[in-house]
Amino acid sequence: MTLVGVAVGVALAIVAVFIPWLPDAASEQADIIDTVYWVVTIICVVVFAVVAGVSAYAVYKFRAPPGDTDDGSPIHGHTGLEIVWTLIPTILVTGIAVYSGVALAQAEDLPPDHRVVQVNSEQFKWSFTYPDIEVEGGRPLTTGELVVPVDQTVRFEITSKDVIHSFWVPEWRMKQDAVQGITTETTVKPTELGTFPVVCTELCGLGHALMRSQAVVLTPADFEAWVREQQRLAREGGAVQGRDLFVAQCGSCHILEDAGTQGQVGPNLDEALQGADADFIMESIVDPSAEIAEGYQDAMPGNFGEIFTEQQLEGLVQYLQEATGGGG
Amino acid sequence: MAVEVRETHEAEHAVAGPPPPRTGLRRVTGPGWLRVLWMVPLGWVVATLLVLGARSALGYEPLWELQVLIVAWTVIVPLSFLGAIGGFDYWLYWISGRPTRPEDHSGHGARSWRDYFRVNTDHKVIGIQYLVTTIFFFVAAGLMAMFMRAELARPGMQYVDANTFNGLFSVHASLMIFLFIIPAFAGLGNYVIPLMIGAPDMAFPRLNALSYWLLPIAGLIMLSSYLVPDGGAFAAGWTNYVPLAVNQADGNLMFQMGVQWAGASSIMTALNFLVTIITMRAPGMSFWRMPLLVWANFATSTLVVLATPFVAGSQFFIMFDRVLHTDFFNPALGGDIVAYQHIFWFYSHPAVYIMMLPGFGIASEVISVFARKPIFGYRLMALSLMAILILGFSVWAHHMFVSGMQPWIRIPMMVTTLVIAVPTGIKVFSWLATLWEGRLHFTTPMLFASGFVSMFVIGGLSGIYLGSVPVDIHASDTYFVVAHIHYVLFGGSLFTIFAGIYYWFPKMTGRMYDERLGRIHFWLTFVGFNITFFPMHWVGLQGMPRRVADYAPEFGNWNFVISIASFGLGASTLVFLYNMIVSWRRGPIAPPNPWRALTLEWQVSSPPPVFNFDEIPQVVGSPYEYGTRGARHAVLNGKPTETGKAPEPVGAIHS
Repeated sequence: MTLVGVAVGVALAIVAVFIPWLPDAASEQADIIDTVYWVVTIICVVVFAVVAGVSAYAVYKFRAPPGDTDDGSPIHGHTGLEIVWTLIPTILVTGIAVYSGVALAQAEDLPPDHRVVQVNSEQFKWSFTYPDIEVEGGRPLTTGELVVPVDQTVRFEITSKDVIHSFWVPEWRMKQDAVQGITTETTVKPTELGTFPVVCTELCGLGHALMRSQAVVLTPADFEAWVREQQRLAREGGAVQGRDLFVAQCGSCHILEDAGTQGQVGPNLDEALQGADADFIMESIVDPSAEIAEGYQDAMPGNFGEIFTEQQLEGLVQYLQEATGGGG
Repeated sequence: MAVEVRETHEAEHAVAGPPPPRTGLRRVTGPGWLRVLWMVPLGWVVATLLVLGARSALGYEPLWELQVLIVAWTVIVPLSFLGAIGGFDYWLYWISGRPTRPEDHSGHGARSWRDYFRVNTDHKVIGIQYLVTTIFFFVAAGLMAMFMRAELARPGMQYVDANTFNGLFSVHASLMIFLFIIPAFAGLGNYVIPLMIGAPDMAFPRLNALSYWLLPIAGLIMLSSYLVPDGGAFAAGWTNYVPLAVNQADGNLMFQMGVQWAGASSIMTALNFLVTIITMRAPGMSFWRMPLLVWANFATSTLVVLATPFVAGSQFFIMFDRVLHTDFFNPALGGDIVAYQHIFWFYSHPAVYIMMLPGFGIASEVISVFARKPIFGYRLMALSLMAILILGFSVWAHHMFVSGMQPWIRIPMMVTTLVIAVPTGIKVFSWLATLWEGRLHFTTPMLFASGFVSMFVIGGLSGIYLGSVPVDIHASDTYFVVAHIHYVLFGGSLFTIFAGIYYWFPKMTGRMYDERLGRIHFWLTFVGFNITFFPMHWVGLQGMPRRVADYAPEFGNWNFVISIASFGLGASTLVFLYNMIVSWRRGPIAPPNPWRALTLEWQVSSPPPVFNFDEIPQVVGSPYEYGTRGARHAVLNGKPTETGKAPEPVGAIHS
């Protein structure tokens, strides 16, 4: 019996280990969490194998023949066995708890040379503010996709303007709710270059499924170059930047064929803005409540006029006008 | 006490016949559906006038404020329904000092199918009312899941829009939890527990009747939320987190108010169970001679009574924020969003045990009977139920590891969460040990009970992952959680509900179900369930969040597999329904004790007499003495009861 259990356990463990259960690990926290995950997996696979092995053996060995009317052995219990299966799980779960606590402390360790990025969330978009990077007009740089340098710990300060959202980059493993009225925090040290999805994991309303963005991890040199480019764009604006801005800030709610976005919370802009002039587009962005397209709710944030620089707004309007065939 | 009740009942039972037919005006003023026909519209008009009158007197604009009207309607219309159907008649006579009508037991027991459609004080009728009603809502909520899986079969949006989808999963979960799993266990308990403890009925039969009639009200309120103009059904999930719930369209109120009725029903039934179990056990049935299902319902009822007021409160707070413009959850005015989650989960985590402990009880009954062996470690089994009851109140914040609550709370909550695996493990190991050296009969209930043990182990183990804070930070709010909850509530609770329905079907209907169809139902469910829910672990860990109508294209293939399997799983329910309906009408007549079980409900006829026992049973031993020749659980005067049998000599079994 024990042999059957062990055999099933080994087989299951091999299957469990060879399936890539977790996405790529792209942060120091991911490595820590993955180790906990695999330790728990090994324990759980062994426990399940014992249960499955014993059940399978019992089903095979103790099945009553048809028409059998006898009873089984009158075994009422076994104190020794009961102590064993109380103690062993107690030891296992205590071990998991202690180890998880230690791993949590490691994952949340904040070295003094960290960088701070503010994560701003609202229905249904992310934006990221870099308090130590200044752009035209003395305001901090704010972007629609997250860009950070590799191998430097980032402290994310997370806020929400409205309902609860949750900031998650699966490859980084760390996740934290954004709650109106408080600033929540999480710590990530990216260790891999690349582009990863930013996903909202807390139900936030109509556009929840499409409330995504991207996290781009660059080498320190590329990051510096990116910062300079952002500062230049904030000064100069233009339609090219307008398209990027649209994809990042507007795409989760609006369809626009040219930008390839598919959000359905707000009106389809290919239709709603068809042939519209610059003034109408500008009003629709900075004062969205002024005119609501038929069949839609007054759901669009009203503060784009404050978030975007003038150059950004002009770039966005210029882009939308070109993309929807109006004016230009 | 029990003796007196029985004797009066018996004396009157002899003269009880169908109630005298009402004539003339009495037909529309007496309790019943005719009175419902005019009192419910009247209640609606009164509620509407009350709101309009108050608003116009106070000068509020606009007069027709749907939110306020919904609150008034969902309070006053159900009350007028309950009054019309006859839920309060006896009490109102008594309260107003008028002579109560002599008890003629016309409201007790079922002589025709019509008796299931009125206020009935017989716990056996109420048990069946519960089960049929809950299965209706199970099918409704299951169909919503089918719509969801259709939408999720492919990335992108195909059949429904985001608002409809959010409504589908919110109503699906709310109905499954509040209108199916919790009350289905209450229904099974209602039918079985008085029989099991040798009592003629529940302690408070009229309260019992009332608590059933609250249930369809709760379900219809939740279902009819689809009809609310501008926004439709509540769509903030069954967790109804603020501020989303406060900001949502008016349909959200239908959840807040529906939960109140379901919760009130739960609390009344739980109090009834507690008093019944404590005071109405047959002579000789000490606590240590109670079947484990009775222990399980004792623990569950305690949880219900202590925890349910918290969910009621949490939803009332949201309703006040919406309708009275209080600011419990408005951070701009000092409200606290995370506080809602603490209040909500202080009920809703114990609720997981409310949805699981009765299933543990059913599994113990079924496994012992079909293994022909005593439950292994009976006392530890009972004590582990009590341990889960106590620990269950100390783990709620494990739902909030990423919520932004004070970080230190995560550590103690992680420890208690993991420790609760110990009593749960004891139960699993004891069931396995019960199988050992048994003589296993794989009837449909036994298949579902053993399926439950293995599936529940998977759900319990994925709970260890979610209990560990670092892993939970990654897995929280993903499809991993969806997989976990379904392994616990479908592989756990639902499998035991099926086991219980098949097991007691002969007792309830007096007929046998079709064993072959039962087995087909089990295997379709078991396979469909695993293909549907196991891959969700993987897509969740890979990065697919839950509660989304659309997802990243890389999850498309697995979601397609999941959707196809889920349709098979849905279809398996048709086999179940067909088997139940056809067997109920035309199945072979069931003997009193087809399973050769020792517990008391099997020592009376199928279905049992109106007052259960013609003689007071005398309990003389444990309910599980299989394998001991001549051992009895109870003695009924003048009638033989089932006894244990000696096993064949060791060695003969496997030859």
